[in-house]
Amino acid sequence: MRNRMLWMAGAATLATVMSLSMTVLLAQAPAGTKKALPPTTTNTDAAIKASADAFKKSVELKNYTVPKKSWGEPDISGVWLTATYTRLQRPTELGDKEFYTEEEAIAEYKKAAESDAEVDPRTVHYDWKEYAMDAWQGGATPNLRTSLIVDPKNGRLPPLTPEAQQRRQAAAAAARQMDPMLGVKTFGNLYTRCVLGLGAIPLVRGGMPGADSAATAAGVTAEAFFFQSPGYVTIVMQSNNDVRIIPTDNRPHVPSQVRQWLGDSRGHWEGNTLVVETTNFFDPKPATNFQGSTDQLQLVERFTRVGPNTMRYQYTVTDPKTWTRPWSVDTTMPRVDPSMIYEFACHEQNYGLINVVTGTQIRFREGVRDLRGNGAPE
Amino acid sequence: MRIRRTGISVLVAAIAFIAAASIQGQAPAPAAARQAQPAAARPAATPPARQAATGLARTDDGHPNLNGIWQAITSANYDIEAHNAKPGPRPELMGAWGAEPAGMGIVEGGTIPYKPEALKKREDNFKNRMLVKVTNDPHRFDTGDTELQCFRPGVPRANYMPFPFQIFQNRDQILMVYEYKGAMRTVFMDKHQDAPVDSWMGWSNGRWEGDTLVIDVTGFNGHQWLDRAGNFFSDTAHVVERWTPRGRDHMMYEATIEDPAVYTRPWKVSFPVYRRLEANAQLLEFNCVPFVEEMMYTPLGLYNPPNRSSR
Repeated sequence: MRNRMLWMAGAATLATVMSLSMTVLLAQAPAGTKKALPPTTTNTDAAIKASADAFKKSVELKNYTVPKKSWGEPDISGVWLTATYTRLQRPTELGDKEFYTEEEAIAEYKKAAESDAEVDPRTVHYDWKEYAMDAWQGGATPNLRTSLIVDPKNGRLPPLTPEAQQRRQAAAAAARQMDPMLGVKTFGNLYTRCVLGLGAIPLVRGGMPGADSAATAAGVTAEAFFFQSPGYVTIVMQSNNDVRIIPTDNRPHVPSQVRQWLGDSRGHWEGNTLVVETTNFFDPKPATNFQGSTDQLQLVERFTRVGPNTMRYQYTVTDPKTWTRPWSVDTTMPRVDPSMIYEFACHEQNYGLINVVTGTQIRFREGVRDLRGNGAPE
Repeated sequence: MRIRRTGISVLVAAIAFIAAASIQGQAPAPAAARQAQPAAARPAATPPARQAATGLARTDDGHPNLNGIWQAITSANYDIEAHNAKPGPRPELMGAWGAEPAGMGIVEGGTIPYKPEALKKREDNFKNRMLVKVTNDPHRFDTGDTELQCFRPGVPRANYMPFPFQIFQNRDQILMVYEYKGAMRTVFMDKHQDAPVDSWMGWSNGRWEGDTLVIDVTGFNGHQWLDRAGNFFSDTAHVVERWTPRGRDHMMYEATIEDPAVYTRPWKVSFPVYRRLEANAQLLEFNCVPFVEEMMYTPLGLYNPPNRSSR
């Protein structure tokens, strides 16, 4: 049974919702404006079968030759889906089991999709399924891997450094003593404040429905639009329209004084693989960077189109102030249509944030201190 | 019971959207209405022969290569009509930092042809230019200048704000990314369609007329301001931009703005746009949301009060 608690309402604009519920809009739009896309199914079984078929096809695909852009670079353009049901960390009971069999992978996917499609009629605010907001309707596919993390071998995040452990303890202690009248910077998070979208870097963060407060599994706005032009790959996220401009001309990074929310990315091609190295991250206190990391975060991403509709996506995370060793992810992103994204005007009248912060202030006054997922910083 | 607590919900947005969609369903089809307006703003076709402008960089399909970082040098963001230098809104605090430079304006003919009631609204806008609101009431966009609140700037304003922007060009689409707010727009060169939904940056359909990139922009949500002086258009605005390279490092920019709800006739802005030539030129982040939160949420008691710590 699932209780979809929706803590923030209305931060997104009509344009955003448009992207989430295309068929609904098109069904109601004035005649003659646009040809409807194929209707999104609300039938879980049909969706699972379609995803499983696509998955089998991609697994079977060998000897794929990547098309080239007119200026010679491999064509990785289009919209790639960042939603997945695969967990970032492997469940400990799976031990060193790195891969599922094909049947197991589909069974896992089915379990996740069915759980995602479940709605508790007593608590539901509205039905995500109806609005095609679940990952299984968005095109998330099964995965043979049991976790996104492939290094360390156990599929788990490496141990924290002593410094990072202290940081977490201090943050937890401070959270217990927070003033109930604190405001948006503490009781909102970077997403509810419309500072950043749901994950522009890295793109795929893993998750299982219901298991992850960061909503990383959600199918909502999990599209990354790759635009290629000579000397650049530019990634525009549907979520918050975050833009990553990646020059591929070997220029040096910006000076170390320049710090950005999305860091400073530099790319180069190694054969058919785009390698992107990102540094110069901002320190977003009181929030943190990806998975509790600091401004010392370094990310190396590798993008390889391995099929017409499949992008292999690998990344290695290094932050000597947070983890005792680097760790790596290996996953795929399915390609989805149409090859465009819509405007995501989030901060423009973000009155949902009022509800989030006011609600959290009230809960704090009531003594509730566990704010995971309620808009508190990660 | 498993509880998924998501950081966001689009519940209200979805409801609003459904409401909007059904309203749209009852009203005369706006997209079609816009399409049916006399295309007086549409410029006459340029001579078919490509002007042999010398020194233009070209893409492999023969069109001008507009890839690069560009910026206008103008004070039009203060007022697109001609204006004097003047103190800023908080001279006791901001002194010369907050003062506004004079400018010749970018409006062809000097004056925007407002209808009388629209001129009144422009004046009211100016008086209320620093009005800030965060609310879900139906008048939530009756605020001051959108730039003050870090809202998307719309077109053509994004092109003359004092920030660089970058053009990424390929055969099918042109991506324009603006340093201000990281606002972006896609110009569809291949598949033209009516705006499927209203937005801040509008819906851009582009085509080449000789060496001029012509972009037809519609689908505005009607909340755009053209400058800090209160100039504006409505959701029936139709903007036609013309980007004409005059050499490797500069373009002439022209936008014809047609909006029968606000103006008596179509009118034009024009100004040059220059390439940023620094070897290390790069768009940097101007994510202004955190810069406006204290201003926007303090009146609601939702910003960290100054005498309280946020750890």
